[in-house]
Amino acid sequence: MEFSEHIKTANVENVVLRQPLHPPARGTLCVTGHHLLFSDREERGSPQLLLLLRNIDATEKSVENLSGYSKMSASSGTITIKCKDLRVFQLDIPGMEQCLNIAHSIETLSCLGHVSEMYPFFYRPVDVNLQEQWGLSSPEKLFGQTKEFHDRWRLSSVNRDYSVCPSYPPTVIVPKVLDDESLKKVAKFRQGGRFPVLCYFHRKNAMVIMRSGQPLTGANRRRCKEDELLLQAVLGDSNKGFIIDTRSSQQAQQARMTGGGFESKSSYSCWKRLHRHMEKGRALQESLIKLVEACRDESHNMDRWLSKLENSKWLSHIQTALSTAGLLAECVERDGHSVLVHGSEGTDCTLLISTLAQIIMDPHCRTLEGFLTLLEREWLQAGHPFQERCAHSAYSHAHLQHESPVFLLLLDCVHQLWHQFPLALGFSDSLLLRLANEAYASNYGTFLCNNDQERCTHEVKTRTHCLFKALLKPSERDHYLNPLYEPTELAIWPSVQPQSLQLWTEFFLRWEPQIQHIEEAKKEIKNMISHWGKLFESNPFLNLLF
Amino acid sequence: TSIKHNPGSDCTMMSNNELSVCWSFFGEYCTSVFFFLDKDIIYICPFNGAVKGKVLITNFRLYFKSSYNVSPTVMLDVPLGAISRVEKMGGASSRGENSYGLDITCKDMRNLRFALKQEGHSRRDIFELLFKYAFPLSHGLPLFAYVTQEKYAENGWKIFKPMEEFRRQGLPNNKWRITFINEKYDFCDTYPHVLAVPFESKDEDLRRVATFRSRGRIPVLSWIHRENQAVIVRCSQPLVGMSGKRNRDDERYLDVIREMNHTTKLTIFDARPNVNAVANKATGGGYEGDEYQNAELVFLDIQNIHVMRESLKKLKDIVYPNVEESHWLSSLESTHWLEHVKLVLSGAIQVADKVSSGNSVVVHCSDGWDRTAQLTSLAMLMLDSHYRTLRGFQVLIEKEWISFGHKFASRIGHGDKNHADQDRSPIFVQFIDCVWQMTKQFPTAFEFNESLLLEILNHLYSCRFGTFLYNCESARDLHDLRSKTVSLWSLVNSKSEIYLNPFYSPESGRVLYPVASMRHLELWVSYYIRWNPRIRHKQQSPVEQRYKELLALRDEYLKKLEQLQLTDSFTSPCLSHSPTPNSSSPTSTSSQQFTHLHTPF
Repeated sequence: MEFSEHIKTANVENVVLRQPLHPPARGTLCVTGHHLLFSDREERGSPQLLLLLRNIDATEKSVENLSGYSKMSASSGTITIKCKDLRVFQLDIPGMEQCLNIAHSIETLSCLGHVSEMYPFFYRPVDVNLQEQWGLSSPEKLFGQTKEFHDRWRLSSVNRDYSVCPSYPPTVIVPKVLDDESLKKVAKFRQGGRFPVLCYFHRKNAMVIMRSGQPLTGANRRRCKEDELLLQAVLGDSNKGFIIDTRSSQQAQQARMTGGGFESKSSYSCWKRLHRHMEKGRALQESLIKLVEACRDESHNMDRWLSKLENSKWLSHIQTALSTAGLLAECVERDGHSVLVHGSEGTDCTLLISTLAQIIMDPHCRTLEGFLTLLEREWLQAGHPFQERCAHSAYSHAHLQHESPVFLLLLDCVHQLWHQFPLALGFSDSLLLRLANEAYASNYGTFLCNNDQERCTHEVKTRTHCLFKALLKPSERDHYLNPLYEPTELAIWPSVQPQSLQLWTEFFLRWEPQIQHIEEAKKEIKNMISHWGKLFESNPFLNLLF
Repeated sequence: TSIKHNPGSDCTMMSNNELSVCWSFFGEYCTSVFFFLDKDIIYICPFNGAVKGKVLITNFRLYFKSSYNVSPTVMLDVPLGAISRVEKMGGASSRGENSYGLDITCKDMRNLRFALKQEGHSRRDIFELLFKYAFPLSHGLPLFAYVTQEKYAENGWKIFKPMEEFRRQGLPNNKWRITFINEKYDFCDTYPHVLAVPFESKDEDLRRVATFRSRGRIPVLSWIHRENQAVIVRCSQPLVGMSGKRNRDDERYLDVIREMNHTTKLTIFDARPNVNAVANKATGGGYEGDEYQNAELVFLDIQNIHVMRESLKKLKDIVYPNVEESHWLSSLESTHWLEHVKLVLSGAIQVADKVSSGNSVVVHCSDGWDRTAQLTSLAMLMLDSHYRTLRGFQVLIEKEWISFGHKFASRIGHGDKNHADQDRSPIFVQFIDCVWQMTKQFPTAFEFNESLLLEILNHLYSCRFGTFLYNCESARDLHDLRSKTVSLWSLVNSKSEIYLNPFYSPESGRVLYPVASMRHLELWVSYYIRWNPRIRHKQQSPVEQRYKELLALRDEYLKKLEQLQLTDSFTSPCLSHSPTPNSSSPTSTSSQQFTHLHTPF
């Protein structure tokens, strides 16, 4: 294997592992192309640590060379490993050279850039084969299932070879009146070719959510007839729609200087623009870094904890996301208008709020399958650049480029909803935790690459396994269902007051030993409930009684 | 029919219609409620603006309901006991809309403003009524608990019997005896009438120790560990004073306590910050010095009642009427409320930890009725699962707070108009907050739920029950409290199902150590911010409620199953009741699962 050139020392004996929630252990450390393994000698069973190298965010090594004093090779080194799942552990490795070799292997192998070298291409669980159909849904399937679409909307394959919009899937849903030629023109007028497409149809009132990239009006206020026509067609008989721009109006104005822009009142007279400034990119990444730093603050009294939490601004990003999503849902559900959402690229905050709004409004998105399908549609097919955004997490010393925890922010927002409406969501909070891990390092191919086109190029859908499918397997599924789920047709309007928002301790403080007993108690409650729930399932006899 | 009008008051007659509204509203204990006043008024609601409606005032509560054409409907229901201050706002000549009226400050984290018409002294009657019945003690009137005649299936006064509780702990034994030295409250007027003290300490010894302890509150046993015989002993500060006085009897007495379970060191927890303890010497108090051999002294750094009062006041400022939004967390931090909660909890953890590892402890602060009560009761809650049951918790409050003379009357100011009284302080609220933090961290360890804690705090102020009235046992006896008023526990135990935690799974031996770290403490939003309609909070958690529904369904199943089995055994006995040894007929599996299921609930 080509990885072997990076592995000078594959095995080291007598390594001491110090990881959270466990006593220190002495054993053998082993580096492979994709994993770090540790097992102590006594136990022959499963290794005590099996870590995807991809999960490693940063390493720090300190070498103590005692040989200068005693002329003996009593040197050793310590590698501190900081993971993307926020775990931090230490390896005390005897022998300076071995330590350096291991550290080198970890550093190189943990950030191999080439997609096809990544572990999902090698992961072959015994009980599944690759022939299974990949993914849960497709625009075709969605279109086929929704009869209401058929009079005003159509399925377009204008992007079948990804040439119109590299980050869109081959097929999209657009207004019927626009032919593919017009769509191509619209694509030229929208950043990244992301012309407005339908992402949600609200059955109750036939209103829709559309999303796109920003219009490329530029400094000289360019217009595009087809774009205006497309948006007019979205409105149908109604005479008013809303555009939610995830930038402040000042930012939108400034974007014109670099060729971007916004829909002007004069050209889009039926559309009303609402600007909501949402942070993304670097600002969000820095917020995560500050938050994780605050969570790891070991100083004794932590008397500044709340200010640090506040200064990280993470909770206020959540507040903005939830309230903007609430605004979107209000436009659609309460006021009965269609809405177009975009920022600049339309691949980050746009997806964040369209996803949240759908969970708020649509009961189907709150089921386990519905939620995963939603993520597939709004994040994977819609082209959120996972590979760029999740290359590193909060610990990395690497020069950050496109990293931004937008997806993590989404999961945290859903966690807030889960917290506020514990009965309304069909999935459990452990699903969110699982997804937060998988997005950064995974056995599955789901979160690889930046868009559908890249996944196609790398044959992700034929050479790796699909996470969402795996989560829905009977063996896994149970764990991710909410035993108290009580479906409601009503919208779930989140409270966005700072007092109603909570730190996602299950994620951010998960490696603190103190959180463990709380987790155990929660598990106990869950067991109680599901135990009782299973009684119904396992005893059809009982159900006959009612 | 049994509504009485107070002849002396200028009450307005109410129409029959309105009466019936009130009648149904006041429910079961209305027989002794006097209706006084009912008039048009404007409630300046901080969340909905000025709301027109009617106010109704009785000798127990202020009730407001918006007019029929106002939407959303606004209702207020304030026990007069919860009012700390009533003030007139504006004058007959003030300008501006709604500038003339009343400003009411409550003890339960809210303020109310009412506006009236400016002409004809329209607020005089309501002001006078409120002033009189919110502060009956300042007007020579009885507290409402003495007026009401509620009837309950259970008598809550019987929940706590000191001797029974001592017996439950295994006392008296060969080391500890029960003394009636304080039977007439002449030994220590703020202590209960029965006390547990070391077996070998004679009553004369106790008297000599009493001279050296503030207000005679000598070290007495609160709790004993069944296995290791380590004890929690509580008392007040020693009267060391500026000159550094010593008292051999006191020293000997503490050493006797240590010897009771043969440990080498006795730990004395002084709840105060070190500097405060030193400063207390100036007023004759102090702390145990090196002369106490075999004892170590630990200061727990918990601030005094004044600091706690100001802290909660700051908290109120950021949550009512408007909730601080832009800098919520740092504002919350600057109130220091959670930090105080943390210090109380971590102090109690240290106490519990010492005791469970076999060392006896002595806990005191200055007088031993505020911080000491918090520490001993929380430590006992951590150590003894009995106190985590619905009834056990009532015993804990009766014992460590009520019988040991936490000055409820002074701290809350029941029926007293002196709203600025420096003796008032939310020490008991803080204790309940600590308990709430524990229930959050151990959701299956407590038999009671959040509703109980909220109910307790409601009636801490309401004066509807006798439970929290007066400062100490001797005062309660003097005023025949137990025979003339109803206990809060009568109410609670008569409808206990609503206070039960369905997730409770008893584990008798387990010591609970909550995490007293700022990261794991939360603001109790559903208590402190409960008046704000914009904050999502639930009186009862939906999870808990749903689970209770499921349990009810389960019980129904069980009943049906039983019936079915009965009929089954008559009609087709051979079908379902002749399982081969290894087979599992549907009936037998299900009944097995039921019994198995029964244990955790």
